[in-house]
Amino acid sequence: MDIAFQGEHLLPGNIGKVFVILSFGAALLSAISYYFATTNTNKLDNSWLKMGRIAFWANSISILGVGVMLFYIIYNHYFEYHYAWAYTSRSLPVYYIVSGFWNGQEGGFLLWTFWQAVLGNILIWRAKSWEKPVMTIISFSQIFLASMLLGIEVFGARIGSSPFLLLRKAVEAPIFSRPDYMSFIKDGQGMNPLLQNYWMVIHPPTLFLGLASVIVPFAYGIAGLWQRRYKEWVAPAISYGLFAAMILGTGVIMGSLWAYESLNFGGFWAWDPVENASIFPWLTLVGGLHVLIVYKNTGHSYFTATFLVLMSFVLVAYSSFLARSGILGETSVHSFTDLGMFWQLVAFIAVFLAIAIYFLIARFKEMPITKKDEDTYSREFWMFVGSIFLGLSCFHLILVTSIPVWNAMFGTKIAPPIDLVGHYNVIQASFAMVIAILTGFTQFLKYKKTDVTRFFITTLLYLIFAALITALIIYTSGLYKLHFVFSLVMFGSIYSVLANGKVFSDSLKGKFKLAGSAVAHIGFALMLIGALIAAGTRGVVSKNETGNLGIPNFDKNAGAGDAKENIMIYRNEPVKMGGYTVTYLGDSTAEPNHYYKVNYKRYDANGKLVEEFLLKPNVQINPQMGLVPSPDTKHYLLHDLYTHITALPPNAGKPAGSQDAAAHGEEDDDKNYEEPIPHEVAVGDTIPFRDGYIVLKSLNKEVQVQNIPLTGSDVAIGAKLEIVSHNKKYAAEPVFMIKNKSVLDFYRKVDDVGLKLRLSKILPDKNKVEIVVYQQPRNKKPWIVMRALDFPYINFLWAGTIIMIIGFLLSISRRNKELKTV
Amino acid sequence: MKKSAIFGLIVIAIAIATIISTYSSSSTYGSFSDAKKTADELHIVGHLDKGKELYYDASKDANYFSFFVKDNKGEECKVIYTGTKPQDFEKSEQIVLTGRMTGNEFHASTILLKCPSKYTQDKIEVTEFKAKTASI
Repeated sequence: MDIAFQGEHLLPGNIGKVFVILSFGAALLSAISYYFATTNTNKLDNSWLKMGRIAFWANSISILGVGVMLFYIIYNHYFEYHYAWAYTSRSLPVYYIVSGFWNGQEGGFLLWTFWQAVLGNILIWRAKSWEKPVMTIISFSQIFLASMLLGIEVFGARIGSSPFLLLRKAVEAPIFSRPDYMSFIKDGQGMNPLLQNYWMVIHPPTLFLGLASVIVPFAYGIAGLWQRRYKEWVAPAISYGLFAAMILGTGVIMGSLWAYESLNFGGFWAWDPVENASIFPWLTLVGGLHVLIVYKNTGHSYFTATFLVLMSFVLVAYSSFLARSGILGETSVHSFTDLGMFWQLVAFIAVFLAIAIYFLIARFKEMPITKKDEDTYSREFWMFVGSIFLGLSCFHLILVTSIPVWNAMFGTKIAPPIDLVGHYNVIQASFAMVIAILTGFTQFLKYKKTDVTRFFITTLLYLIFAALITALIIYTSGLYKLHFVFSLVMFGSIYSVLANGKVFSDSLKGKFKLAGSAVAHIGFALMLIGALIAAGTRGVVSKNETGNLGIPNFDKNAGAGDAKENIMIYRNEPVKMGGYTVTYLGDSTAEPNHYYKVNYKRYDANGKLVEEFLLKPNVQINPQMGLVPSPDTKHYLLHDLYTHITALPPNAGKPAGSQDAAAHGEEDDDKNYEEPIPHEVAVGDTIPFRDGYIVLKSLNKEVQVQNIPLTGSDVAIGAKLEIVSHNKKYAAEPVFMIKNKSVLDFYRKVDDVGLKLRLSKILPDKNKVEIVVYQQPRNKKPWIVMRALDFPYINFLWAGTIIMIIGFLLSISRRNKELKTV
Repeated sequence: MKKSAIFGLIVIAIAIATIISTYSSSSTYGSFSDAKKTADELHIVGHLDKGKELYYDASKDANYFSFFVKDNKGEECKVIYTGTKPQDFEKSEQIVLTGRMTGNEFHASTILLKCPSKYTQDKIEVTEFKAKTASI
C-alpha cells in the first residue's frame, strides 16, 4: 500500500541519489579505462586514456552534485531526510550548517571521495607518463568510496549508506503511516553540542585531505612495481608523500588542539582508539618517506621503503574500519556505530592489502635490492633504523588499539590494559626516545661514508651539552618524579633540537636546501618536549582539601581513591585553591551556552593583588545529551590554566526563580531557608550573619511599594539595609506597612548572598525595629563543582607543530625542484 | 653474520617483547566475584541498579559518588567512584567499570557508559569518565 505523503521534497534527494550512482559508475568506467590504457600496447591509441579521463571528470562532477544536493537539503531544513534531521536543526547557525555536512559518516565519505577526486584531477594534469597506472589505482579507490554512499540493496545485503535516506525509512515509528507526518516534524535533532565549534568546521576537511592524499604515494608505488619502473616512482612519491604527511599531521594535531581547547578530556591526547588510528598511517608514511630518501640517495632499503608506503594506505583503510565499523564498541569514546557496512569496510582493506601484497611478492625478484650492507657510519643505515622504529611504534599502537578486533577474530575476551594511558605512554615514549636520538646524530652522518673520528667528537659534544640542559629541565619541571623513560625522551628531544639546530644554522650559511629536514626535526622534537612536560607534570590546581568529610579511610585506598580533583565552590564565597583565590561570581546565558563566571585572584606574599582574571567555562544544556561542559583556559606564555565545570546543582540551567516562587506560596519559599532569626536593632546597629554583616542605615518613611496607594491612616516604613559579604556591598529595603488597619510586610531578597530580609515589627517604645533574617542553608546556595588544571609548557607542543609544518613545506619545495616529471 | 640480519633479529625481538608486554598488561573482563578473589584491577561489565540509591552530594564531598551495579552474572555490588557524577548516569544501559574491590565495595577508577540515544534506537553513544589523573 502506497501512501501519498504530503510536504516532502523528494526531488533534491532523487537528484542526489542519481549523482551517487553516477559517481559510482563513472569511477568504475574510469578505473577500467585507465587499466586498459595502461596495458594497451599500442602507443598511438589514446582512446582508453581519453575515456578514463572523461569518466574521472564525470565522477568528480557527480561528487560535486552529491555535495550540492546534500547542502541544499541541509540548508533548507528538509527534515524528511534523515541526514538533515539527525545532524542539524533550525536554530543551528549557518556556519555550523557547513559542519553539519560532515557530521555523519556519509558526509565523511563524501569529503574523502571529494578530496580524492581533487587529487585525481591534479594528477591528470601533472602526472604525465604516470597518469595511466596511477589513475587506475585512484579510480579504483574511488569505486570503493562511491560504493559507501550507494545505500542500495543487492541480494538482500545493503551496500553503502545513502546520505539521502528518508527519515521515514531510517526510523520506524507509527507516525510515518500518516500521510501528513511532515507537519509533525518541525525540527531536527540538532548537532551534538560538542561539535558546535569552529574546529568542527576546519578539522575534518584537513584530516580527510590528509587521509585521502596517502593514496597518491601508494598509487605511485603500485604503478612503479606494476610498470616495472622501479626507480622512477620514488621521486614523485616523496613529494606527494611529504604533502600527505604534512596535512595528516596537521589534521591530527588540530583534533588534539580542539580536544584541549573545548572538549572535556582534560588534556590534548587521550590515546583513544580513534585518535590512535589516525596516526597509524602517519607513522608508517613518515618512516616510508625517510627510506624513500635513503633509496634515492644510496640505492639501499628499497623493499622497506616500498612496503611502508604501501602499508600506509592500507592503514588508512584500516583506521576508517576501526572508526566506522562499530567494532571498537566499549573501548572508544568517539567511534561511530555500525551502519551495516562492516564487511564492506573489511573488503576495502582486504582488496588494497591484496594488491599491495601481490605486487610486493610478484615483483620481489626484480626489485633493485642491494646485496651490499650499509656502512655502520652512514646516514642511510641509521635513517633505515629510525624508519623501522617508527614502524615498530605503529605496530605497538595497532596491537593494543586492535584488542577488540583480536577478540572478534579469535573469540577471546581480552580487555585493554587497566592503566591504558600509562601503558601507551611508557612504551610509546621508549620508541620516541630512540627516534628522537636518531633524528639527532644521523644528521651528523653523511651518506655512504663518514669520517668516524670527527663524527664521534661532534656527537659526543652535543650529547654532553644535551645532557646538561636535560638535567636542568628535568630538575626544574619535576619530570624526574615520573618513569625514567620520560627523562630519556626529554634527553633525546633536547639532543635532537640541538643537533638539528646546528644543521639548520649551517644550512643558512650555504646549502639552504638542507634546512627542511632540520626544521621538521626541530619541530617534532619540540612537540615531544611540550607534550611530555605538559602531560607529565600537569598539575591539579583544584585539589580538594576541605571537602573530604564523612568518608573515613577512603583516601587510603591507593589507586582508585587518590583522585580528588574536583572542588565545590558556592557563589560569592572565595575559596583558596593552589595559589589562587577563586570566586564563583554567577552565571550568564547566551543560548545554548551557560557561562559560569569564575574569578581568579593571585596575591603575593604580602597579600598584594598580583593578578586577577575571569574565566568563563561554559556548559551547554542539551535536551538529548544533558549537560555538556566546555573548558575555558587562561593562556600564559609558558603554561596554561585550564578550568572546567564537572557538576552543577540538579536544577541548573532552568531559568532562575521559575522553580518555586510562582507555584508555591510564601510558606514554601521559607522552606528554602534556615530557621529565621529576628533581631531588634536601632539605626546604625549591625546584624551579623554567616557570610558577613548587615547594617541598618536608616528608616525611610516615604517609601513607595509598587502601586499600592497609601491613604490617611496608612503607614509605610522601609528599612534601608546595607549588606556586606566577602568585601562586597549590597543594598536592600524591606518594607513594613499598615494599610486599612491590617499589617503587611514586603520582604526583600539578596540572592547573591542567599538572604531574605523582613521588617516585621516597629517598636516605637524602644526606638527599634525588628529585622528577620532568613539565611539560605549552604547547600541551597548556588554552587558549581569545577576542576582546574595547569598545563606547563604546552605552547611547545603547538609551536613545535607549526615549526614541523614549516619544515615539511621547505622539504616539499626542495623535492619539487628536484622533480623533473616525464 | 651480516649487519642487516642482526638488526632484523633485534627488530623481531622488540616486536615480540611488545606483544608480550601488551598481553601481560592486558586485563580481563570479570565479575564482582572475580574481583573479590584478586587484588588486581579488572574490567566489569554490568548495568546500574536503578532501584537503589545514587549518592552524590557535592556539598559534602565533590569527589565521592556511589551507586549499585549488577554485573552480567547478576551479582550486585556497591561501587564508589572518586569524581563527580557523570551526566545522564541514570539513563545508562550498560556500564563498564575498571577498578578493584576494597572490602565489600568496588572502587572504580574509570566508568564507561553506554547511553541509548533518545531518538534513534540504532544509535548508541559512548562516554567515558576517568577519575584518575592521566599521569605520564
